[in-house]
Amino acid sequence: METERPFVLPGDSIDPSLIPVPRQQDAQTQNSKKQAVLRLGPGLRHMAATGAIVPTVPGQLVVDGRKRSMWVESKGGRYVASVGDVVIGQVQRSAGGDLFYVNLSPYTSNAILPHLAFEGASKKTRPQLAPGALVYARVSLANRHMDPELECVSPATGKADGLGPLVGGTVFDVSLGLARRLLMARSREEGQVAVLDFLGDEGLAFETAIGRNGKVWVRSDSIKTMIAVGRALQKTDEDDLSVDDQRKMVKWLIKSMR
Amino acid sequence: MPREAEPSLNEKQFVIQALQSNLRLDGRKFDQYRPLEVSFGEQYGVVEVKLGKTRILAKASAEVTVPYVDRPLDGIFTIATELSPMASPAFEVNRPTETEVLLSRLLEKTVRRSGALDTESLCLVAGQKCWHVRVDVHILSHDGDLIDAACFATVASLRHFRKPDTSIENGVLTVYTPAEREPVPLGWLHSPFCVTWSFYGDEGEIAVLDATWLEEAVRVGSCTISLNRHGEICQIAKLGGTPVEALSLLQCTSIALVRVKEFSALLDKKLAEDAKRRDRGGLLAELSAENDR
Amino acid sequence: MPLDTSSYSLALLRVDGRRWNELRRINAQIRTQAAADGSSYLEMGHTKVMCVVTGPSEPFGPARVGRTGAGAGATAGASGGEAGVVVSIVVAGFSSVDRKRRGRGDKRIQELQSTISSALAASLHTHLFPHSTISISLHVLSQDGSLLAALINAATLACVDAGIPMTDYVAACTAGSTSTYAANDESADPLLDLNHQEEQELPGLTVATLGDSDRVAVLVCESRVQVSRLEGMLAVGVDGCKQVRAILDRVVRDKGRKMVQEGTVQKGVGLEDMEVD
Repeated sequence: METERPFVLPGDSIDPSLIPVPRQQDAQTQNSKKQAVLRLGPGLRHMAATGAIVPTVPGQLVVDGRKRSMWVESKGGRYVASVGDVVIGQVQRSAGGDLFYVNLSPYTSNAILPHLAFEGASKKTRPQLAPGALVYARVSLANRHMDPELECVSPATGKADGLGPLVGGTVFDVSLGLARRLLMARSREEGQVAVLDFLGDEGLAFETAIGRNGKVWVRSDSIKTMIAVGRALQKTDEDDLSVDDQRKMVKWLIKSMR
Repeated sequence: MPREAEPSLNEKQFVIQALQSNLRLDGRKFDQYRPLEVSFGEQYGVVEVKLGKTRILAKASAEVTVPYVDRPLDGIFTIATELSPMASPAFEVNRPTETEVLLSRLLEKTVRRSGALDTESLCLVAGQKCWHVRVDVHILSHDGDLIDAACFATVASLRHFRKPDTSIENGVLTVYTPAEREPVPLGWLHSPFCVTWSFYGDEGEIAVLDATWLEEAVRVGSCTISLNRHGEICQIAKLGGTPVEALSLLQCTSIALVRVKEFSALLDKKLAEDAKRRDRGGLLAELSAENDR
Repeated sequence: MPLDTSSYSLALLRVDGRRWNELRRINAQIRTQAAADGSSYLEMGHTKVMCVVTGPSEPFGPARVGRTGAGAGATAGASGGEAGVVVSIVVAGFSSVDRKRRGRGDKRIQELQSTISSALAASLHTHLFPHSTISISLHVLSQDGSLLAALINAATLACVDAGIPMTDYVAACTAGSTSTYAANDESADPLLDLNHQEEQELPGLTVATLGDSDRVAVLVCESRVQVSRLEGMLAVGVDGCKQVRAILDRVVRDKGRKMVQEGTVQKGVGLEDMEVD
């Protein structure tokens, strides 16, 4: 991962030296053919006419030379479902006797969650979810002009893998950018976000689930802890705090809430 | 498809639990407002008010029209509110929701019916010509407590507004452009402000000021009290909801009076700052039409 | 309409001859409409209103849930778990001195609808009737002040008649003060139950309380008044609500007794405290 992240605006031209080139030995070996293809992530578009790569959103350009991929890191936008994302949805209602309509964000159409897409669900034992209940689910189908479909079970293993209804706790809204950074495998190094670790270091006990649609679910025995986590996340999000600032902010927050 | 956003069951339960243990989600006290930011535009009468994430833009304007037949000596004063889908998916264009109707009624009662603006001073030629002062209130984003913020914005924009100066000589009405004569402020009598309490609990025993959107969604009742800094009630509206002890309503009113005095001082300060900014070098004071008289 | 209120300080009598703490005559009937689930007719002085309650029944259309459409009336608590209370008010053209046409989109009427709907929803046990609607339609036949109070009282009576479980009566009345907002005289007397003339001239408020308690469900003040006046006005108003509640209760009991006498209903266990003679 490059340390330098140039800021780009929509329509900017991208410095060609930043675009990763296929390495010689890669092109020759057979199995790395896949790696030889340049992958464009969100916020970038390949103009067929000129062959140029143009940003479509303002943000920081991230180039991953090893994976030969590049994308624009931006904060805002509304959530558009894509396959494999884990999301936190709010059940609207049960419909047709075999599926739930689930709301992922206020301005998008409902996603569909079949009653049978839960661990151990069968025709006889189906989950009972009231309108307004929260579920942690994975997007299993997403097409541009269709309602996305969700599942709370891995189709390969039949296990829930931590997905399913979220009981108790509460949910906080964060920006899509922060949600994505939190979901990174190495969120402190790659995503520059370690606020949850710092909160844990302060001795707060809580569990979280992070939805790619900009929602973070928090549960703890203490209401104060839940409020602290929520405020810390939203502060990190709104003020774009660096890792050091996050540590200071958490210290300050814990002190002010005592 | 936009739809009415409603908090999840988990959130509703959490907010109530937190309030019952004397906590608010953003760490405020129960009777504390979010920071209120006021900024004036380049034009007279344009003001933007931010209360946390709630943002409101108000713009006052004036034009010369014919007065109503039954009120030949009064000018016309209207307040138009607009809640666009931009503020929340619950709002639709051209289809006023209950929120919008109640908001515009409250502004009407607080500012217009309480006689904050001297409408008689808007009359130019009795029965023939008068000023029509209009305030457009746009809700740019909705994070609760629209009423208090909208009322503040309305009052601020009217107090900031300057209408063109006029003169009548031999029955001929002249409206001067700002270049000819400095515009004049409206005839303003008193500044009312709204303070909205939200109630929680089975008996409405928990009272909270300046509820956020999430807090508003779970409240069992609300009471909007409009006052000015002289301690005059302009309007009270507790429109249904869970019944609340009469004594606690009286307490709410006295706390509201303290808040209104703070609002009043804040607005005076901001207006003075803005006047100072515009009056750089005292040039405008020299050009002012007021000196002529 | 100039009104000489100065005479009050001399005789301590109001324009219609009442003392400060007297209600106007309240005349009420329930079960006036044979076809309705519940109905009532109420007079507070010259203010006359009728109310018809339908429901709890299935909602008329799915689009209506939780939304005030054009002319649809105001709803409260219409989410799936509990019954929605829909209120619509029709003001007859002949109800006031000057015949004025008020459209359905009139914001004042919409505000009244939403107030009554949310005040009653707090007293009615709406959670017993999920996915249903209680529709209250009110007709204003004659206006002489205290309109909102009369509407609330009529709606309460009609809901009692419809047999919808509720916590207690929501009883309402108005209170005023003899001082205008400018005068800061401490001698100003509070007044109970304003008529139209007094409403125009003096500051006043409408209070509705739940049953015999001091808990205020509705408090509407639309005139400028010193904050120090509020306490006195509120106290008189709450007291008036208790009187109104007693009157409403007597109306309901009288009707029940009559029905037992006529043999329309059998004397049940719940009616034991009612003497039948």
